[in-house]
Amino acid sequence: MIGIRDLKKNFGDNEILRGISYDIEKGEKIAVIGPSGSGKSTFLRCINLLETPTSGQIFFKGEEITSPDVDVNRIRSHMGMVFQHFNLFNNLTIMDNITLAPVTLKLQTAEEAKENALSLLERVNLTDKADAYPSQLSGGQKQRIAIVRSLAMNPEVMLFDEPTSALDPEMVGEVLEVIRELAESGMTLVIVTHEMGFAREVANKVLFVDEGIIKEENDPLSFFNDPKDDRLKEFLSKVL
Amino acid sequence: MSSFTEKFYQDFIEDDRWKFILNGLKITLIVTAFALIIGVAIGVVVGIIRCAHDQQSGKELTGIKKTALNILNALCHIYLTVIRGTPALVQLLIMYFVILVSAKSKVMVAVLTFGINSGAYVAEIIRGGIMSIDRGQMEAGRSLGLSYVQTMTKIILPQAFKASLPALVNELITLLKETSICGYIGLNELTRGGDIIRGTTFDALLPLLGVAVVYLAIVHLISYMFSFVERRLRKSDRH
Ligand SMILES: Nc1ncnc2c1ncn2[C@@H]1O[C@H](COP(=O)(O)OP(=O)(O)O)[C@@H](O)[C@H]1O
Ligand SMILES: [Mg+2]
Repeated sequence: MIGIRDLKKNFGDNEILRGISYDIEKGEKIAVIGPSGSGKSTFLRCINLLETPTSGQIFFKGEEITSPDVDVNRIRSHMGMVFQHFNLFNNLTIMDNITLAPVTLKLQTAEEAKENALSLLERVNLTDKADAYPSQLSGGQKQRIAIVRSLAMNPEVMLFDEPTSALDPEMVGEVLEVIRELAESGMTLVIVTHEMGFAREVANKVLFVDEGIIKEENDPLSFFNDPKDDRLKEFLSKVL
Repeated sequence: MSSFTEKFYQDFIEDDRWKFILNGLKITLIVTAFALIIGVAIGVVVGIIRCAHDQQSGKELTGIKKTALNILNALCHIYLTVIRGTPALVQLLIMYFVILVSAKSKVMVAVLTFGINSGAYVAEIIRGGIMSIDRGQMEAGRSLGLSYVQTMTKIILPQAFKASLPALVNELITLLKETSICGYIGLNELTRGGDIIRGTTFDALLPLLGVAVVYLAIVHLISYMFSFVERRLRKSDRH
């Protein structure tokens, strides 16, 4: 579903991604781990073109989305993204946060969008917050809403950039639970995370991104029990 | 004391001289209101162009659109430099004696001058407001497939406006007071109204004091009204 060919990204003279190639099939759950500053976020943000790759190609359902004449807005409307800091729209109620994009992009009527939003809110047990503003929610609630906001667009893939890193420990569980259910529903997802237990449990592939490349990729069992790369061994010994 | 009432009578009551103050106030308010509308319109457009240029340069824009944005940005830059680098009075005189010599209405000259002048300050206020919004807001909008313009109008600008409101009110107050220089082109606004009375009765204290009190009252009213608006806007910030 997503094909990445020799993806490179520089910020000025800094080479952040130094040639990443990887294929993600429909329904896969890819966990991305690696040290801070290794380029995990940049990798994820290149996939939905929030960052413009310096070179290389990205394909989405066979279409090269890195080609200059592609409509990035159309591509992004098929990819959900969840940020570390939630990024809920502060000026809108929860309901409007969820319905804004589908209604503005004329994918749903206002009524359809609202109905859809309510059933999504029910899924994360937050129906009572429909008329609240983001500032009235806890971190865990915000992140669950952020996930729901992405889902309202009926995306074909969900990208998560450390969705629980900014949360108080007691709220991590409720967010991971939502992501877990999403994974079980068959959604294709890519998740950058420091939750090793979660990666092991939910992912079907784990990638170790370090120094701008994929140093190791494997199924979770072999990845965690039998790491080959020295840097990965060192990394795992620190975080496990 | 009797000389005070006498002077008060001469300055304001006799021959209905208070009308100079009232009519002057009307002109001042009209010039301020229309200049504000023009100023905000110009300011929002210029502020957005400046931000769009800073945020988008080197990103997805290519070819003709990028060139257009660069040219617009350069024009905005010149506009800001000229307007903020010269006194409003000089701008007013140039407008009246050079650019709009054939204009019939002094009010229109004043409205245009102050609108264009205020636009430069509003632009910088709006730009500051936009830049104060966390860039995650724009990224979230874009990641959902919304365009730059859609995200700007629905997410960023409403928040930027709210953040800029105190500075905008400040600009409005400055604008109101600055229209007092319109007397230089013979426009009978509030300050000049008081001055006309002074010229007739040869009493400087009371007419000018009266003018000052009226300005103070209006400024106070504006501050009061907007503190109300701000409190209402703060409802989405409740914790
Ligand atoms: N917009 C940017 N401009 C310049 N440098 C950046 C930018 N975004 C990220 N970087 C740099 O790229 C490196 C990798 O960042 P990131 O992808 O966020 O790492 P990770 O998510 O793995 O912690 C960091 O050194 C960071 O400072
Ligand atoms: Mg990161």
